[in-house]
Amino acid sequence: MLYLSQILRRPVRDVEGRPVASIKDVIVRLGEDHPPVTGLVARHMRRDIFLPRTRVAKFGEAGAQLNFDLLDLRDFKRREGEILLARDVLDKQLIDVDGKRVVRVNDVQLIEVAGEWRVTGADVSLQGLWRRLAPAGFMGSRRPVEVIDWADVGYLATDAAEVRLKSSRDKLSRLHPVEIARLAESLSYRQGAEVVAALDDETAAETLEEMPDESQARIIGDMDKERAADILEWMSPDEAADVLGDLPEATAEDLLNRMEGEEKTDVAELLHYEDDTAGGLMTNEFITLPKGLTVGEALARLREMAETPNMIYYLYVVEQEGSWKLVGVIALRSLILADPSAPLEHVMRDEFQHAHPDDSAKDVAHKIAEYNLLALPVVDDLGEIAGIVTVDDAMELLLPKGWRQRLPRIF
Amino acid sequence: MAVSRTDVREMSRRLWRRGTLRVRRAVARRTGFIAYLAVIGPGMIAANAGNDAGGIATYSTSGAEFGYTLLWTFLPILVSLGLVQEMCARMGVVTGKGLADLIRERFGVRWTMVVMSALLVANAGVTVSEFVGIAAATELFGVPRQVSVPLAALSVWWLVVKGSYRRVERVFLLMSLVFLGYIVSAFLARPDWGEVARQMARPTFRYDNHYLFTLIALIGTTISPYMQVFVQSSVVEKGVGREDYKLVRADVWVGTLFAMSIAFFILISTAATLGTGGFAGSIETAADAARALVPLAGEYAGLLFAVGLFGASMLAAGVLPLATAYSISEALGFEKGVSRSFREAPIFIGIFTFLIAVGALIAIIPGLPLIRVLVVTQFINGLLLPVMLVAILRLAGDRKLMGEYANGAVYNVLAWLTVFIVSALSLVLAAKTLFG
Repeated sequence: MLYLSQILRRPVRDVEGRPVASIKDVIVRLGEDHPPVTGLVARHMRRDIFLPRTRVAKFGEAGAQLNFDLLDLRDFKRREGEILLARDVLDKQLIDVDGKRVVRVNDVQLIEVAGEWRVTGADVSLQGLWRRLAPAGFMGSRRPVEVIDWADVGYLATDAAEVRLKSSRDKLSRLHPVEIARLAESLSYRQGAEVVAALDDETAAETLEEMPDESQARIIGDMDKERAADILEWMSPDEAADVLGDLPEATAEDLLNRMEGEEKTDVAELLHYEDDTAGGLMTNEFITLPKGLTVGEALARLREMAETPNMIYYLYVVEQEGSWKLVGVIALRSLILADPSAPLEHVMRDEFQHAHPDDSAKDVAHKIAEYNLLALPVVDDLGEIAGIVTVDDAMELLLPKGWRQRLPRIF
Repeated sequence: MAVSRTDVREMSRRLWRRGTLRVRRAVARRTGFIAYLAVIGPGMIAANAGNDAGGIATYSTSGAEFGYTLLWTFLPILVSLGLVQEMCARMGVVTGKGLADLIRERFGVRWTMVVMSALLVANAGVTVSEFVGIAAATELFGVPRQVSVPLAALSVWWLVVKGSYRRVERVFLLMSLVFLGYIVSAFLARPDWGEVARQMARPTFRYDNHYLFTLIALIGTTISPYMQVFVQSSVVEKGVGREDYKLVRADVWVGTLFAMSIAFFILISTAATLGTGGFAGSIETAADAARALVPLAGEYAGLLFAVGLFGASMLAAGVLPLATAYSISEALGFEKGVSRSFREAPIFIGIFTFLIAVGALIAIIPGLPLIRVLVVTQFINGLLLPVMLVAILRLAGDRKLMGEYANGAVYNVLAWLTVFIVSALSLVLAAKTLFG
């Protein structure tokens, strides 16, 4: 086992054992869980030359030993998919998926496996830092070394490689969107955007929803337009409408145009409303059931739905199939406990709290808090339900600013 | 007219296809004075922290010993300070990272350690001088230092550790208001404004050692490494985004202008009274200056000076340990932030507490060779400044890091010139401090 700091600046010796150059950097090829070393960069008489792995017989704390006579003075040039450990990895940040944190690489651990040297981990402990600073041969304290398995690296915050190689969609997906959002926020702006871009559309949407508004707008605004539109489709309509509202007008229109289907109509509908009102707060994803159904039929319908919105805990009973006229609200709890043959009309509450789209957002939030609701229906002048305001959006308004960003989306 | 929901949905679809549905503006346009007020803070505070006990002492002695003849340096110094602070603030806005963070990523651990250790030692020394400044100012009012210093230390500590970033920023900004007193004391001193104007425009270069030393010291006290670290780290903690970059830039330049104006008025206060030959004693500290002003410009001039000294020292006593804590936490990868609790960021809060405690304790010790301490810190800062400036310049001009916000060609030339001149002078100061 070897640490990068132990071999940097060590001599490169020829077959006779004479030092001919010094190790400047180690080249590894990304893409695997434990990237293999493909060569060394050595400094020979003020030039950086490339030594492929095949030419290196031995490699260790004492330096490297070549296995051939002639020193191939090929200049070093970067290749696709490869990075340099000292230049591109040391002192850079990475996302540790196992520990769910962003850490800085203090040193890199290398292990020889089946004749091949591989990067096995990143040392993020203080001990690693002392090892870098201390002169050669210093034993250091017996403090424990903390090494993150390279297989747990979800993203490496370096400029050097393509996003595809330095981030892993699978690994990042092991984290909850709330966690990914938190980690992306603690990286620099560009790197945070790269992390989000590395995710699949649905996870990216969920992650964005957990990030502050400015970050959402910035990341979506800087992204490829088609991809941005796809992600917006996955986001819940009220969040997507908020993002579009934060973008410059031309960009927002372009993105909305690229969206398709129901999602687009949902978002466009919400854009009508002013920001600080019930309309600006609400989402239009909710479940309606015609009052003529029985409890059993209603439950069956729920099970058959291809996609269920997040807010399933209240169901909104409308006059009839295809109508939006709200006549009652029924809690899922009541629905499950009721007799399956009972008509919804008898189980629902026909007296319920509601808001008008023009009501102030603060009033809506207070009402939700006062009545301990999970959601409040927003009903227009015709008595039709236009949307619902969920408790998580309401809470954001009521809590002090410092807490707001820590609230995850519940519905 | 009330419209049914189905119609609304259909209408949206039609309007959209026709291209007449406009996207609502969810966020109010971020311009104007109100927006500026929301962003103001880091630049203003960092610049004003430069007018600390040591700074006030330097300006006072410049005025007392050389009259108005050093005024011509103020404009170049203002430009240099603004340039450097702006680069740091810009880096904070664009990268979202602190200066020590960037130095570590770009230049490696060794350089980071050098910078950090120098900052730690130098800032510790300067923090002591701030508490001495507080002690001296309160002693002018008859309060013994054994009472005032611990109280002051405790208040600053409490404010930062228990407060959120916003609250601390607001208090620091309020404290900056004490500087306005210097403007009043300058007018009370009744300077010859014609002479002032003349000296501002005409560079007088005297070749005596003392003059040169004071000139360089002026630069050193105004452009300090801790100010650069602080402005960048607070911009980052504040969470300012790129869309507010122009406002941040305004904050930096307004702060610089304000701070230099105050320095200007401080110098005039002492120049008009003590520098016109009407003073035989020597001014070593700002308290001396305050005391000396009283017989010449009246009770109030001295009083304002003392109050200003107190406020300035309190502000710097907060800013300096914070800057150090930020840089060390960033470099070593620890959690940081004023808004964090002790449990969340133990090292950050720990370093801050340590510096305040040590600073206050040493300041209470009677018979302390403060001048010696200040000289050493001046030396270290003098060596550190060129390193920091070159690092800042290389980082701010790096296109890969800053994208379109990297230094433009003209800006770069100006900046390199500034860095070169300031670094050269700084090294001369360090050499002089060492060799006398």
